Amino acid sequence: MSSQDNLTDDSTDFGYERVKTAEKAGRVREVFDSVAAQYDLMNDLMSGGLHRLWKRFTIELSAVRSGQTVLDIAGGTGDLAAKFSKLVGADGKVILADINAAMLSVGRDRLIDKGALSNIDVVQADAQFLPFEDNSIDCITIAFGLRNVTDKAKALRSMHRVLKPGGRLLVLEFSKPTSPLLSKVYDAYSFSALPAMGKLITDDADSYRYLAESIRKHPDQESLLEMVEDAGFVDCRYHNMTGGIVAVHRGIKG
Amino acid sequence: MEHDPAVIAGVSLAIETVIAKAVELSPGTQSRLKQLHPLAIEIHCTQPALKIFVSVEEDGGIQIASYRETKATVSIEGTWLDFSRVATASDPAAALINGDVKISGDTAPLMQLQTIVGELDIDWEAPIVNAIGPVLGHQLAQVIRAITAASGTTHRRMKRQLSEFILEEARLSPPKPELDSFFTAVDDLVLRTDRIESRLKRIKKRAASLTGAIE
Repeated sequence: MSSQDNLTDDSTDFGYERVKTAEKAGRVREVFDSVAAQYDLMNDLMSGGLHRLWKRFTIELSAVRSGQTVLDIAGGTGDLAAKFSKLVGADGKVILADINAAMLSVGRDRLIDKGALSNIDVVQADAQFLPFEDNSIDCITIAFGLRNVTDKAKALRSMHRVLKPGGRLLVLEFSKPTSPLLSKVYDAYSFSALPAMGKLITDDADSYRYLAESIRKHPDQESLLEMVEDAGFVDCRYHNMTGGIVAVHRGIKG
Repeated sequence: MEHDPAVIAGVSLAIETVIAKAVELSPGTQSRLKQLHPLAIEIHCTQPALKIFVSVEEDGGIQIASYRETKATVSIEGTWLDFSRVATASDPAAALINGDVKISGDTAPLMQLQTIVGELDIDWEAPIVNAIGPVLGHQLAQVIRAITAASGTTHRRMKRQLSEFILEEARLSPPKPELDSFFTAVDDLVLRTDRIESRLKRIKKRAASLTGAIE
């Protein structure tokens, strides 16, 4: 049992709901199947474009260089992969991985439109069971994806396995606001405005309600830091962004 | 106080976008910038505490970041006030070298970059023509040029007349020769005061030694 992500042998969180562990991946897939086509538009609307700045800082922290191999897990529509593709150059490689085929399909189409597929492999993969060789990746990023993984600890261990020694993991995820006032405003926004926007744009309020609930059930900054350390990473730290609404955790494989 | 990385990322993105647009509209600048790759400048503002990195990419693009692990080619350190003085100076290169800003590392590419920035010749008519067509676009550009030239002349004239009014009419400020003469007199007074002070010290010392001899 992993206490930090409320996973027991037979049940786990799906937002505020408890579901059978085996069912969670399917339920998450339904959510993302529903939102895939409008995912980027909704991200821009929900965050007021801030998600681009959060991702930009994550890319800075990656310190990725030409010739390296980058794995972008839960990469969905491929916005991070497109940026990494430019950074690693023709000698490097970016692997865009996602468990959801609909999201990957949208991502692949976007990358083809941008002409950025020459050094990008698109792989449908579960973060808990990464289908890559041990010690083969220089940098792993997972942006707004870890909270949807059934067993987060197992996924972090899997990431640790495939990273090269000295390689780094970056987890960009919603977290806990540091100010109580901001926390109240944020709660009101995510439980009222977010589902309303979801209803208006994708005709699916439930999926966006799940997103808001899953954010609240996700481990806070310190708990996630502990999980990253428990997975075997060293020199772990995190940076809060936008008052702690989002945090990026960094760990190095020793 | 630690700055929110998202705020810095937003400001960096905005500056980067403006620079990219300026470079795009200035023919030849991108190829000149390419030659400066892999120049990386670390700008360390000590007050308020902030560190940003400006690097020239392989394609001549300028990238601004708040985090970098590899060593920068040149590092510039100073307070916000020091950097403002450099930015507003008539000769920024001289102000950078002679001012309070500390520079370490290879300064040659920094000077080359400064020259490129100084020689930026932005063809701002091109985006107007692209947006509204060559006939109307060119006419509009001519009007903007005329307004800019007229406002420049007005600005220079206003500046001269305002300066004359302050000095001659309102006599709110003394003329420069009068000020120079005043400062020279102050310096002279300071010098003479110092001499009197040292003379008094010598007299006191002699008086003390004479008193000791009588006793």
